[in-house]
Amino acid sequence: MPNQNGKLYGLTFLAPIIDDKKATPSHDLQIRAYLATLPTDQNSPFAKAPSTHLCRLVVMDDVVFVGHPAHEEHLKSKYLIFETNCDSDATDYLTGLAKTIPQQLDAIWSHCVGYPGAANLSEFLSYMKACQLKTTFFFAAVNDKSLPESLRALATQRAVVDFIADHQGMDPGRLQSEFKQFLAELKACPIPEPGAMAPLRNIKTGGRNE
Amino acid sequence: MSKLNETDIQGFVLRGYNLPFARHLFLHFEDSARARKFIFELLDQITTGQRWDHGKPESTLNIAFTHRGLVALDLPTATLLSFPVEFQEGMKRRAEILGDTGASDPTKWDELWQKDGIHSWLGISAVSPEALDARSAQLQSLMSETNGATLLGSQDAASLFFDGKPCNKEHFGFTDGFGNPDYLGVDRDSQPGQGKLMPDGTWQRLATGELLLGYADEAGELPPAPVPHLLASNGTFMVYRKLHQNVATFRAYLDSQAANYGGGKEKLAAKFIGRWRDGTPLELSPDQPDQSIVMDPARSTNFTYANDPSGTRCPIGAHVRRVHPRDAFGFNGKLIDRRRITRRGLPYGKAALENEPITDSDERGVIFIALNASLVRQFEFIQQQWINYGNDAHQGNDKDILMGNHGGKGRFVVQGDTNLANPPLVCSHLPNFVELRGGDYFFLPSITALGMIGMDLVDPR
Repeated sequence: MPNQNGKLYGLTFLAPIIDDKKATPSHDLQIRAYLATLPTDQNSPFAKAPSTHLCRLVVMDDVVFVGHPAHEEHLKSKYLIFETNCDSDATDYLTGLAKTIPQQLDAIWSHCVGYPGAANLSEFLSYMKACQLKTTFFFAAVNDKSLPESLRALATQRAVVDFIADHQGMDPGRLQSEFKQFLAELKACPIPEPGAMAPLRNIKTGGRNE
Repeated sequence: MSKLNETDIQGFVLRGYNLPFARHLFLHFEDSARARKFIFELLDQITTGQRWDHGKPESTLNIAFTHRGLVALDLPTATLLSFPVEFQEGMKRRAEILGDTGASDPTKWDELWQKDGIHSWLGISAVSPEALDARSAQLQSLMSETNGATLLGSQDAASLFFDGKPCNKEHFGFTDGFGNPDYLGVDRDSQPGQGKLMPDGTWQRLATGELLLGYADEAGELPPAPVPHLLASNGTFMVYRKLHQNVATFRAYLDSQAANYGGGKEKLAAKFIGRWRDGTPLELSPDQPDQSIVMDPARSTNFTYANDPSGTRCPIGAHVRRVHPRDAFGFNGKLIDRRRITRRGLPYGKAALENEPITDSDERGVIFIALNASLVRQFEFIQQQWINYGNDAHQGNDKDILMGNHGGKGRFVVQGDTNLANPPLVCSHLPNFVELRGGDYFFLPSITALGMIGMDLVDPR
């Protein structure tokens, strides 16, 4: 199953962007402008929709000509690439997106050729599946755990380490009673929101520190 | 690889002089022509990498430039723009990347480093304070005679003296200076543990291009370097950081944590670093210091972490295991061969005995100097990824206990050891033991390149 690794799915979609000479600005620029405004933390629409571990949207203009003697080639169209690591297959995952963030989906994909809108679920699913590529190889960032399981595990790990640090050397009787209370509180804790647990960083990774 | 041309490479690059006194002079150039004259006059005095067959000199002298300094010397624009971006930016503008924030923020640096006036570094090492003063006075007169440079400030450093004898300890009480790598072509007694680990478990010298520009590095590539090639070749980049040590805080924190630690204070101190205070590696002697190991070059740096995956001997987050991980990340150590640096530098401030009353504000620290072919790939990577972030070492967001910019947060976990009476310890609410007080990136040219600069012969075409 190339799209699947254990419980995780790696889905890839490639949608041609509308080439309309009269559009101002062009549709690819409109997608870029919209994507640049999206938050990347817990307020990202893809964090609000269910089961996204990580995803990436890329506007691909063309293949880059690297110079002679390479053969000069061009794509037939500009494309919007959507890659995602998620918990369910294409049907369930896309259904989740269409029900949770239809406005954002429309704002992005309405610049693509033939996009029917997210309101009509069956047409939306047919369109996206027509755009789907087989993912041949992908990096699974988590160890075969669902999104809620991963978030719960991270929160538990943090809480347990804090508990250990704060209770070292404590009398065993008191330690046991505090641990029981800690367990009860931990179980009652809601699962953290996706995207909310990353530490505050003032710099972006990648280009800026290269 | 044939032997390097030791007459063309500054001695400071090829070997630690092992002289107990040092003075760092920071110069400003007002006029490029006069500055070049000063540099030209200085040429014969620069200590090269040639062997001292007739004993150590009374003092040594080396020179390096900031990018602003090279601008002030009027190097061609095509040359200036060909230097790596991080060197052009300088250390201050790299503060966010390096984790130099909070107490280490550039706005809190010493006044000398607040302004952007430093163009050149002159490093003097000497056998005695008298020799140091004599060499400094000589340089001062040359500055006046040529009117080529003004002295903005200076920084003394020296080995710590106990009972009148110099030793290689730093202010927290640890023996320092074990980990410098061996490089191909550098004439230096090599010892196992100081190069790169081979699949058969032996150690080999690192590629010359990890230290010097103009030679192949561990990837078989030439490190990024300015044009022309002759200006870069046999040169290197130098990191200068004045690291203030909060010795009172360190002592108090160690005492408070040792109260909860079954192994006792000295063992906990060793667990922080990965070596006992006398330098014995925990990997080789986890339960007590052993001078016979420290004194034996075949053993003092000859260890790996493969047989200690759970950190029962040396904690997974111990300082030396994080900054020189050897084989700790798997793949026979291949992941770290392009992340090695050569360290020079000495402590500053008066040695304090263990029971001597002290405060954090006492002027004590270490002048950290690192040499590498690529600042971004070597020094900056270690500082950003291994000191101020713990992912590679499987330590999550935990920073290096000794060097990390903790700001009162963060943790260090001492894994339990083989003795059941000595369970794991989680040290939390880490204060900053070390804070940055200033520094910059310098280009340390070859003798040939220095001549080209002094004679205004740098031609990028």
